[in-house]
Amino acid sequence: MIELQIRRRPSAIYVVTYFILWIVLFEFVLPVNNVLPKPSIVIQSFGALWDEYHLAVNYLNTTASVYLSILFAYLLLHFLSHFFDNRKSVVSDFIHSLNWFSKFLPGILIGFLLIYWFHDSLYIEFVFALLTSFFSFVIFFQKRRAHLCHEYVDAARSLGISEISIRRKVIWKSLQPEIFNHIFVLHLYIWSLVIAFEFIYGKFGIGNIFRLALQYRDLSAMFSAFLIVGITIFAGRGVIIFLKKKFAFWE
Amino acid sequence: MSILKLENISKHYLKAAGAKQNVLENINILIDDTDGKGKFISILAPFASGKSTLLKIISAIEKPDGGKVYLKNNVYDKPIGKIALIPERPSSFPWLNVKENIAFGRRPNSSSSLGDQEVFYKELIDMVGLSGYEGHFPHNESLGFRFRISLARALAAKPEIILLDEPFKRMNSETKDEIYEMIRKVIKKYNLTIILATTNITEAVYLSNKIYLMKKNPGHIFEEINIDAETAIIKGLDRHDRFLSLKNEIEKSFRSAGENFHTEVHI
Repeated sequence: MIELQIRRRPSAIYVVTYFILWIVLFEFVLPVNNVLPKPSIVIQSFGALWDEYHLAVNYLNTTASVYLSILFAYLLLHFLSHFFDNRKSVVSDFIHSLNWFSKFLPGILIGFLLIYWFHDSLYIEFVFALLTSFFSFVIFFQKRRAHLCHEYVDAARSLGISEISIRRKVIWKSLQPEIFNHIFVLHLYIWSLVIAFEFIYGKFGIGNIFRLALQYRDLSAMFSAFLIVGITIFAGRGVIIFLKKKFAFWE
Repeated sequence: MSILKLENISKHYLKAAGAKQNVLENINILIDDTDGKGKFISILAPFASGKSTLLKIISAIEKPDGGKVYLKNNVYDKPIGKIALIPERPSSFPWLNVKENIAFGRRPNSSSSLGDQEVFYKELIDMVGLSGYEGHFPHNESLGFRFRISLARALAAKPEIILLDEPFKRMNSETKDEIYEMIRKVIKKYNLTIILATTNITEAVYLSNKIYLMKKNPGHIFEEINIDAETAIIKGLDRHDRFLSLKNEIEKSFRSAGENFHTEVHI
């Protein structure tokens, strides 16, 4: 019973508590410090972020890279899933090898190579995010496909439904709740990778704002960017929950 | 004419160590259609005797290693949509509502008009007792509810045979009673053959016109018992002398075949 009550307490209470603590501590108790910026200065720094750090363009660049890459990777998987359905194919072996590499090589290392090869490209960040999302989806799809509820497939097959229809209408559909669960994990992972990529690339994006803010030792700009990223991820998560409830509600 | 004929069916699997395990050996089944009426056939066997594999071979989802399967004297080796399988675990699709699930079973090349299809779906929904639930999604519903959808979906494909792989095992007795009654009506209305794989002797005797007894290691049919069509599917059969004598006869047959098989008695 006690456990249930604890679970019911919404996380928003903690967020509001931390927020109030931050305001009280850093606005009134410790206004001058090197740990966290003063709340009133953070509010003022949004203007500077907009003008000097080109927030709008950089924000759009990062969010487009993150969300479009996840969306396109999902659609690509949908259209190409039949290539990854057969576990005894060359494609499947290739995916298996990628899975093996991914256990030892952090994804950002591929980003280093892409930056080296295409150091002037405008789209390389998106390509990096897309490739990471897509291969993450494919590896996940192959793993889950092996543990699919065979009753659905057997029943459909016995009705004389074609293999293409079974892949499209049964296998793909039945994996949707798990694919959406994977999107939750992927969402945060891609955000981390894209920000790290932009930080290293140093041309645009929120990662580049962090880079510049560090260079200028601008704590309030960095903190404002933190808040913007946090709020965006929170909203993004809300959208994913909404989509899951709408399109993969049967888990 | 025979509806279904299995001729010397055998099947083996390779174990992890590479050893061959015979699952089915020399299975012969003949179901004929002399009276033109629907039939209920049971394959009664202990757990892990290859019943599910046998049903998958009949529905051509799996290929046998030896032997042939005939539907109305024609050999087939891939699913032809005439033999619908309802597996043990619920197979109604949770992402489709009741009506969409049923429509899924319809043949893509079906030439009937949209109006006719609607009438047919309504008839099937009425038949399985789901009127008023057309828009419901089955993911939170009971096993009985999901079985009804699976049955209606199978009927939508207009099959010759429906295979049931122990779908009643985890249902409560009230649900089972309702579904047995519904199956009786389905057989009568559509004149189709239903084959049930089960470990439940009561269920087999209660519903069947014919019971195939199967032993395991490897799966092999060792006896077939014809049940008088008049006594089959009569409510309260478990209290009848005929039921007790059949039950004893079946248990004795299993013992004679060297199978230590304790069947479930209550429906």
